Amino acid sequence: MFRVISGRSVQAARLLAPRNAVLVEAVRGRKSRTDPVAKSKVGRIKVPPPVDPVEMLVLKERYSEYELIMRALRLEFKEEVLRKKYEEETGSQAEERARQEEEEHRALINWNDEENLRMLKARILRVQKEEEEAERKKMEAAIQREQQLEESIRLREKEILQLQEEAKNFITLENLDQRIEDALDNPKNYNFAVDKEGKVVKRTVLQ
Amino acid sequence: MVHLSSFLLKKYHSGYVVIRLAMAGHKQANRPFYRIVAAYNKRSRDGKYIEQLGTFDPLPNIYNEKLVSFNFDRIKYWIGCGAHPTKPVAKLLGLSGFFPLHPMTVTEAERRRAQAKLAETTAGTEDSQEEENRAGV
Repeated sequence: MFRVISGRSVQAARLLAPRNAVLVEAVRGRKSRTDPVAKSKVGRIKVPPPVDPVEMLVLKERYSEYELIMRALRLEFKEEVLRKKYEEETGSQAEERARQEEEEHRALINWNDEENLRMLKARILRVQKEEEEAERKKMEAAIQREQQLEESIRLREKEILQLQEEAKNFITLENLDQRIEDALDNPKNYNFAVDKEGKVVKRTVLQ
Repeated sequence: MVHLSSFLLKKYHSGYVVIRLAMAGHKQANRPFYRIVAAYNKRSRDGKYIEQLGTFDPLPNIYNEKLVSFNFDRIKYWIGCGAHPTKPVAKLLGLSGFFPLHPMTVTEAERRRAQAKLAETTAGTEDSQEEENRAGV
């Protein structure tokens, strides 16, 4: 007779109920077949509501008319639905519509093809330009490299020349004696000062 | 009728379509409000329906009117596909004029009229009895 309910609809209502109470609601049919009859219902005989025969006759007439009309209406509506479906598929407008759709389709496909061609041409031009750019860059890089190579060669040659120049003043085994005698004959005096302007001052305190 | 409806309804469903009242959204509010809905027979009352075809507000408004709305075009379509309206929906449609008047509407009205007349006559006889008593006294 009572059924436990729980769920989202019940949460708010449960705020005031005691913590461990169970929320129940009335539901039919708790008793099974084998349960005994309740004491209050022991002598009860269930009686259907009384029927007035005149009214029943009139009602039957009315029902038969009503159902006749309803059947007719249903058939009408069915026919209308079928006719609409038929019109939709094979009516006068259907062919025109199909033709128009086909035309549209073809036009769109053509437009798409043209777009593709255009894009293709643009792409070819772009790719060509990029190739040329790459070529140019490669050439420039090669030229750069050659120039650097030449630069380095020149530098090295200059160094070699300088070294050769300096080699003339080197002290070798042959010049050794000569240079020793030259050095002993010409004593050099490094005892000088330089003032802020860069002028050499030979007169020192010692002299 | 059954095979025709299956022919027109695209999905196969072993049941039939009904046009009935489904209670709409206002839970725990003491304020019922019905949607007139085309749904499969075995679905729950408020469950997933195929299409909504109208509304019905059972409580009268400030001008003492109960408001009903119907989408007659779609109702025609569904009845043509073989849907069955329930009794209250049939009664409402009868009152609206789309269907013929339901016999029970007429019978109920007659019964109520008879009851009212009975009440009047008893009240009349009581009054007249009182007058007689007063006159007699």
